[in-house]
Amino acid sequence: MSAGAAEAGKPIGTKIIEHVANSDVMVPLSLGPLDISITKHVIMLWIAAIVLMALFLIPTRRYRKGDFSAPRGFLNFLETIVGWVRSAIVIPNVGASHAATYAPLLMSFFFLIVTMNFLGLIPIFNYINHGHGGTTATGNINLTAALAIITFFAVIVAGIKEHGFFGHWKNIVPGGIPWPVMFILIPIEIMGMFVRPFALTMRLAANMTAGHVAMLAIFAPIFMLHNMYVGVGSVLMNVGITFLEMIVCVVQAYVFTLLSAVFIGMSIHPHH
Amino acid sequence: MENLMSFDTGLMFWTWVTFLVVLLILGTKAWKPMITMLEKREAFIKDSLAQANEARLEAEKVAKEYDEMVAKARKEAQEIVMAGKSTAEKMKGDILEDAKAKAESLMKQAERQIEAERDKAIAEIRNQIVDLSLLAAAKVVGKEVSKADNERLINETLREFGQN
Repeated sequence: MSAGAAEAGKPIGTKIIEHVANSDVMVPLSLGPLDISITKHVIMLWIAAIVLMALFLIPTRRYRKGDFSAPRGFLNFLETIVGWVRSAIVIPNVGASHAATYAPLLMSFFFLIVTMNFLGLIPIFNYINHGHGGTTATGNINLTAALAIITFFAVIVAGIKEHGFFGHWKNIVPGGIPWPVMFILIPIEIMGMFVRPFALTMRLAANMTAGHVAMLAIFAPIFMLHNMYVGVGSVLMNVGITFLEMIVCVVQAYVFTLLSAVFIGMSIHPHH
Repeated sequence: MENLMSFDTGLMFWTWVTFLVVLLILGTKAWKPMITMLEKREAFIKDSLAQANEARLEAEKVAKEYDEMVAKARKEAQEIVMAGKSTAEKMKGDILEDAKAKAESLMKQAERQIEAERDKAIAEIRNQIVDLSLLAAAKVVGKEVSKADNERLINETLREFGQN
């Protein structure tokens, strides 16, 4: 905890929350009435986007030059993941005929989330804000809500594109159901429309925050007991948790992308 | 809980902007070409497998044909050998038969010749004996016995000899 002795008086719980929460406004900005100030999570989001674009644009240069020979090295690794996202997430849910339309969107979800998740595991980014505030942008519900809102609209757009404006809204309730049931079903389905992105928001943010809270809680006894030997146990446990977190990073990105694909697929093929 | 659950329009706004940028840039520059590549490669692998299967079937067919050909050739060779053997056997029999017949005829001829020679020799000896006997008898008797009597006497004697 690089917070230092000056903050030693604060309760440990407050400090933990401080570490997973966003920083204060670093660069105040506004767009009309909208506050678009730059905070640490915005910077982490940008770093993730830059890292991601560099990782993909540099090795795929040869494709844009027309060299379509078999990939080697890192590009092979990237293609394995892209191929996996396509064959395990996109095609089974959206369908092979619509895969080309929705694959870029779903891949943007998966890769941007997984990059932010992994960058959050690297403690060096703490120093952007002098050790204050977390670095896992996906642990912030505002960011995950923004992503889930994209899914929310993607689902509606996908349905309207496939079945027309009225066709899509009619598909929200399954056909062939006695009309009195509609009084229950329509509110439930409309609620479901909003609950799904909300669940996406909370699941990703809570999972990413929880790992960091757990790690910080394991480190906490060192400072509570003022005994560095406690750190041996804390460090060993946290090494294990870091490995667990790496799995969680991939799994949560996978779950967010998979559920988005499932919702879009349900909107395209409503009676399945 | 400080700002853990606070509403932050800035982060939402930047998330949308960043997401859109990532989607536009990587969607067109990286993921579209990569997916196209994957599809192309998938099709290529599928085609290659189909071609390999076809080639395998073709090879199997050729191998079967070849096997059949070899079997046929072997059978033919065997037939030729068998035919040759039987011809040779027959020829051998013929030659032997021929040789035997020739040998027999030669033997018979030889026998006949020998017999003829013997008869001739015996006749000659007989004549000489007659002459000698006549000469001897004339000397002993001192007179000429008529040749006809002599010959009769001698022939009788000889017949007696011959009978014994």
